[in-house]
Amino acid sequence: MDFAWSEQQRELLDAVGRFASKQLDYDVIANDRDAVFNHDAWKKCGEFGIHGLPVPAEYGGLGMDPLTTVAALERLGYACKDNGLLFSINAHMWTAIIPVLSNGTEAQKKKYLPGLCNGTLIGGNAMSEPNSGSDAFSLSTTAVKKGSTYILNGSKIFVTNGPIADLLVVFVTMDKARGADGLCAFLVEKDSPGLDVSKKIEKMGVRTSPMAEVFFTDCAVPEENLLGKEGAGSFMFTKSMTWERGCILASAVGSMQRLLETSIRYAKERRQGGQSIGKFQRVADKIVNMKLRVQSARHMLYHCAWLRGQREPVYMEAAMAKLHISDCWVKCCEDAIQIRGGYGFMVEYEVERELRDAIGSKLYSGTSEIQRSIIASWLGL
Amino acid sequence: MTQGQSVEKILVPFKSVPDPYAGAAASTSKSVINPFDEIAIEEALQIRERGEATEIVGVTIGAPAVDEQIRAALAMGIDRAVRIDDARALDPYAVARILRALVEKESPQVVIMGKQAVDDDSNQVGQMLAGLLGWPQATFVSKIEFLENKTRARCTRETDGGLEIVAINLPAIITTDLRLNEPRYVSLPGLMKARRKPIETLTCEQLGVTVRPMTTTLSTSSPTRRAAGTRVGSVEELMAKLKQEAKVL
Amino acid sequence: MVETLVLIEHDRRQVKRPSLHAITLAQQLGGEYALLVLGHGLDEIAASLVSYGAAAVIVADDPALAEPLADRYATVIAEVARKRGTKTLLGTSSTFSKDVLPRAAALLDAPMVTDVLAIEEMDGSIAYRRPINAGSMLATVKVEGDRRVLTARATAFEAPAANVAVCPTERFLFDAASLPNGVQFISREQRASERPDLTESRVVVSGGRPLRDPETFERLVGGLADALGGAVGATRAAVDAGMAPNDYQIGQTGKVVAPELYIALGISGAIQHLAGIKDSRIIVAINKDPDAPIFQIATYGLVGDLHQIVPQLIESIRRG
Repeated sequence: MDFAWSEQQRELLDAVGRFASKQLDYDVIANDRDAVFNHDAWKKCGEFGIHGLPVPAEYGGLGMDPLTTVAALERLGYACKDNGLLFSINAHMWTAIIPVLSNGTEAQKKKYLPGLCNGTLIGGNAMSEPNSGSDAFSLSTTAVKKGSTYILNGSKIFVTNGPIADLLVVFVTMDKARGADGLCAFLVEKDSPGLDVSKKIEKMGVRTSPMAEVFFTDCAVPEENLLGKEGAGSFMFTKSMTWERGCILASAVGSMQRLLETSIRYAKERRQGGQSIGKFQRVADKIVNMKLRVQSARHMLYHCAWLRGQREPVYMEAAMAKLHISDCWVKCCEDAIQIRGGYGFMVEYEVERELRDAIGSKLYSGTSEIQRSIIASWLGL
Repeated sequence: MTQGQSVEKILVPFKSVPDPYAGAAASTSKSVINPFDEIAIEEALQIRERGEATEIVGVTIGAPAVDEQIRAALAMGIDRAVRIDDARALDPYAVARILRALVEKESPQVVIMGKQAVDDDSNQVGQMLAGLLGWPQATFVSKIEFLENKTRARCTRETDGGLEIVAINLPAIITTDLRLNEPRYVSLPGLMKARRKPIETLTCEQLGVTVRPMTTTLSTSSPTRRAAGTRVGSVEELMAKLKQEAKVL
Repeated sequence: MVETLVLIEHDRRQVKRPSLHAITLAQQLGGEYALLVLGHGLDEIAASLVSYGAAAVIVADDPALAEPLADRYATVIAEVARKRGTKTLLGTSSTFSKDVLPRAAALLDAPMVTDVLAIEEMDGSIAYRRPINAGSMLATVKVEGDRRVLTARATAFEAPAANVAVCPTERFLFDAASLPNGVQFISREQRASERPDLTESRVVVSGGRPLRDPETFERLVGGLADALGGAVGATRAAVDAGMAPNDYQIGQTGKVVAPELYIALGISGAIQHLAGIKDSRIIVAINKDPDAPIFQIATYGLVGDLHQIVPQLIESIRRG
């Protein structure tokens, strides 16, 4: 067992840290209030090489192993306070890039991956429906083959990057009677006739990541945009969800590390009754708990990514990492607020936003309850 | 802009300095490329991207530890780099003499470098190198344009009295001021490519130059801090202090 | 033989006052010193220099030196220094001396020390104190060899007193045709200003990024400077944002000032800026951020919105 980074990993992670602290440490308060997506920061991340971290060089990426990839995203989350931007990046990477990379034809990969990697194309994923969330495979959006095209009808909700996406990975059913085996996926470009995207949806947190409802009305998609085989939809979805669960909260670990450090600083500087509040056991305890959570969350994140790099199945590990990190993130935010007292409740102190951003992590990519079900089923229950 | 053949080679000497923006609180001092030299690298890259130069060679002097800054320069996009292996505390004149030897070996048409290193703040090397080579110089430059088939360059200089424009015959030395450009950041694809670019290591002996620093730092100290003064609550109070206490009005 | 040669800077009409401060360093070094001035049409300028206790004023006056081109100037300066057996070639820190003197140092095969703040005797030889790392540290350095080149920080040395004794003026003769010809002067931005020179003014008012745009900058910073008869300066951020021209920049890589009164408007106080102001006698800081580092060195600090405070201040000064 070797916990050390190689010289090359260290150099790459340092470069990510420097990039993020110089280019992404911008003021998020106004953007959060007004729900504004930072296109400029997105573009910089693309040019810098974030989006293509796990994609092989032949498709415009960097060919990094999963462990290096999540560690880089962790550095990004540490320096960049715009959790919405990071959420958009994660959605783009795990629910658009990975499905294309894992299931796309050579032509599809060549056509879409370079743009998705350098950020000129924004990807999104349309899965959830008004009547299908945790019960993921009971879709009512349909596709019917007609000549050399497929005709899509139905609607999708909670489409991350919906209002800004150039390419959507859309899951539909071709045969409701076959349930999960009737699903398939399409790559739908933004200007497709019959595709409508609603105005962005207002959210509690990650407000800078735009989300929309998407409607398909006799939307014609050419057959070359079928992703994978007809009927392979549920398998592809599960695979990309596993990637997503295992990686999406890498930046949350960075956020926790930042909250820990700023809380320590605050506890040292803030004085009450003639001493710094860090000397009060009840404050120190909170900080110790934060430290334990960051450390355990990081280990679960790294271990899951390492296993994936070894080509081991990680269904349970990804669910555990997602469940644990989201839980830790919310608790860290609560502690960070509590340590700051009334100030923590103020927008200017930027921890209330962190809490609002964190709460979503217990809902997206499968709620905490779903993660527990997955873990329980892998334990044979 | 006159079209013509491009400058064959630009040499960019750069120095590794402690990160000037790390802040006093930083416990471990990380080294970075001297910010003025980073501007010089960026300018050379932009010149090459405009098709006005073919090759950019970076050079620095130091122990193997500076390879990290060399890789950063390679990742920004310079074509190759030379490290002159000398770990001594050199003074600007010694640096200029070593660089002269390298310029004679590499024969660049233009040398672009920062006007000063932000650790030593001497502001000497570029001018000394120009003097040693007998080349024209343009210092504190905020704009560069090539003229007449790249036989001359028109440079805007930032001087105490405002902007000054000169034309210099090539080959020449140009030192950069802050507003020449905004250096790009090192991208990950750039970093990966940099791993395949060559770093050549040379010694002063191999360059045929013997230098001994003639300037020695005997000691360093912290300057006496100005004592913090008083806070005033209003314009009236400030005016009263300036008149009666400071007696400057 | 003159031990020390002091390079004097001028703007074609008159001597730049700060460049005289190097004479004070020459006097501290001891021995004979001569003043050197280069240019064309220098009679009046040379005449204004005869009463500073020098052994001579050496004048290199030629059409070829009409513009301060480094390659020519350095060649002539080095030639004077060699012919006069100069041990120390000296100037006051400025973009002019920093352009020309390092090149002259190379021609003289001499080491150079930039921005000398003070000298001290150390084991029978002279050591020089100078700022490094944006003035956050001071280094004491010594140099070897028969010759050295120095620039002195104007703010660290007093202006020399003029006395009644008058020294001779000597014309330095050289072959102008053999001077280098690699640099051609094209133009200089002429910006007429009624305000005093930044490095010479008793009062300096300077502004940072919160001034927002050139108009507001001129109205508030310029307005306050005019009310006080002072000069205008700016931070790097304000210059980068296009609010003020580059030669207004004060700090590590700009100008160093030490006026009687320095007023900082909307300046947070990065060490790179503080490097250029900390020898000012009185520093006034007006900033809306009570934690701005500038307040740690300001003589008087006023927390508040400069857009409201500065007009009140101008009004109050005008009332007397």
